[in-house]
Amino acid sequence: MKTQAIHAVPPEQLQKVTFDEAMEKRIAEIFERYPTKRAAMLPVLWLCQERYGWISPGVIAAVAERLEESPAFVEGVVSFYTMFHRQPPAKYVLQLCVTLSCELCGAKTLAHHIKERLGIGFGEKTPDGTFQLLGVECLGACGGAPVIQVNEDYYENMTPEKLDQLLSELAREQ
Amino acid sequence: MPKLTIDGREVEVPQGTNLIEAARLAGVEVPYFCYHPYLTVVGQCRICMVEIEGQPRLAIACATAAADGMVVKSATSQRVKEAREAVMEFLLANHPLDCPVCDQAGECLLQDHAMSEQGGNFASGMLETRRTFPGLERRLLGPHVIQNQNRCIHCSRCIRFTQEISETWALTYKNRGNNAYIDTFDGRPFDDPFSACAADVCPVGALTVREFRFRKRAWKLSSTPSVCPGCSIGCNIWIDHHERIVYRFTPRENPEINATWLCDYGRFLSESLNQQDVVHPKRRLKEGWQKLPWAEVFRALALDVKAAKTLRVVASGYMSNEELYLARELFARRLQGELVVPVFMGEPRKMKNGRRQWLYSQSALPNLEGAKRLGIRTVDEEGLARFLYGAADLTVVLDPQAHPFLATPEAVQLVKVSPTVVAARVDAPLLEAATWVLPAASLAANEGTWVSSTGKVQRFAVAVAPPGEARPLWQILALLARALGFADLAVTTPSQVFQWLVESEQSFAGLDWNTLLGAEQTSYRERQHVG
Repeated sequence: MKTQAIHAVPPEQLQKVTFDEAMEKRIAEIFERYPTKRAAMLPVLWLCQERYGWISPGVIAAVAERLEESPAFVEGVVSFYTMFHRQPPAKYVLQLCVTLSCELCGAKTLAHHIKERLGIGFGEKTPDGTFQLLGVECLGACGGAPVIQVNEDYYENMTPEKLDQLLSELAREQ
Repeated sequence: MPKLTIDGREVEVPQGTNLIEAARLAGVEVPYFCYHPYLTVVGQCRICMVEIEGQPRLAIACATAAADGMVVKSATSQRVKEAREAVMEFLLANHPLDCPVCDQAGECLLQDHAMSEQGGNFASGMLETRRTFPGLERRLLGPHVIQNQNRCIHCSRCIRFTQEISETWALTYKNRGNNAYIDTFDGRPFDDPFSACAADVCPVGALTVREFRFRKRAWKLSSTPSVCPGCSIGCNIWIDHHERIVYRFTPRENPEINATWLCDYGRFLSESLNQQDVVHPKRRLKEGWQKLPWAEVFRALALDVKAAKTLRVVASGYMSNEELYLARELFARRLQGELVVPVFMGEPRKMKNGRRQWLYSQSALPNLEGAKRLGIRTVDEEGLARFLYGAADLTVVLDPQAHPFLATPEAVQLVKVSPTVVAARVDAPLLEAATWVLPAASLAANEGTWVSSTGKVQRFAVAVAPPGEARPLWQILALLARALGFADLAVTTPSQVFQWLVESEQSFAGLDWNTLLGAEQTSYRERQHVG
């Protein structure tokens, strides 16, 4: 399994956003599935995060215009959900579950290990922009605790050794 | 209509009334923070919980409609008391204890409730320190609103205001739960044309009005019912003043016109009422200005007026109906002069009434409708220029602010050619051309009635005494009438003139001076603070 790296569009290119034809087409498809434009807000935001890597104020303004909502309203929604990146993310976002099951099975050890190996704590990014560590609440995979989600993929039953191997592979692939 | 009992008091209320309003009608006060009579009910703060007989759980009064036969307990229920104490404990866990330095103190719902109902007795079981929002303690949210997020109790009134009333949708919560805070999109300036209303609806000191902040403690202010002079809509206001200084306008409830709102433009006209550049009556002589006592002024002026064969008078859409009536009676009917009221549109303004309908200004003048009802000729800029063109024995300008044209060099030139009497409050180019300058008092020192563009006759009351020798215009007109020998026009109060209006003018028939103030109804401000 190969985890896809996030390619975040740099902030200076996302100050003012206009959707290209491909995006417009997909947004139109999303609109068809919902009774109102407002109801399509989350899927459209997901689409944008997929496309740009993160949600900049420029993206919010573009989405608001497309959905005929106020930018403040859209930003309120974006900031409510922690899974929307409001800053350009690293290529690989390590989401370490810190809820009970994972905590009991050694999440703290993994956090320490990442701190030692990459020098980053929760909420921090490596200087080269490859890795970013986030502490997240239950990922719903307690059977495989401790769990790390990297971008879209789950890595279960993690140990410091397996983590080392994973990090090396990811660092090599980029 | 449902009939119910609240704390042992029986009351009959209109269908659909919620329990907060029903309780108020019964004379019982139910506390609330997030509820506002002109905003959507969200039931967020949970402080308005009441016990309803037959229902096992406590209910929130704001979102419960009164029903026939309901037996409600509020202050008389121990369970309610405990529930409210619990809510307060949560709210005060993070609310800073900075009332002494908070500008909202004295008109803060949280403070009022903490002190009155809870008796100021609290024990918090919290061991953690208070949650704070570094960087958001003293932040200029917009041109008129200062935010202190630490004080916010997350009632969402300000957000709902921008969504439902001003319709700019400018404010929102950012983040969620314990970290939620009020912000605009990308932190941009909150430049809603009604922005200060967001501070009004804020039940605590999280949003305060920049212009009023720290100028005067709320409990020192006296409030006088008045009407906004900003445009023809005629929003009802309180003039808040202390020791002859006007500190602010706050909206006065009127469901027909401005609900509990006021636009920023109108609100911040308050400061201008303190301006009184002209404080003495004076006459221009060859060697310069001569100050005269009022008695002298009227004697000498009466001679000038009598001697004038051609008399032209510019009245104003800012004048009250009583002043316009006196001006019409004196100058047009008795002295056979020509009288006009200049008209101009000014910036268009709008306001939302209690039924959430937009009202739009018809002109910049608060009493243009009154002038029309009195049958006084109205003129636009061109008409005014034509009116002032050529010489007359005497020109009287009752208000240099009546039209922007009167401030132009052209108008000064037109007026200069003949003797001119100007009644003024603030410096104006026209004063250079005047032969007589009479100090007129501001709206805050005047009383009378205006007719809004929605056709409502509204009275404003005297808030402060006029500064210096300034006098309200109605008094100047009445005393001039006496000096001219028209003793019947020498009224001592505008209410006498209003009585003549009621008797002689069809459109004023049946009205009563004493009930026109609107302040005798318990307004929202008295029920609980708007600001």
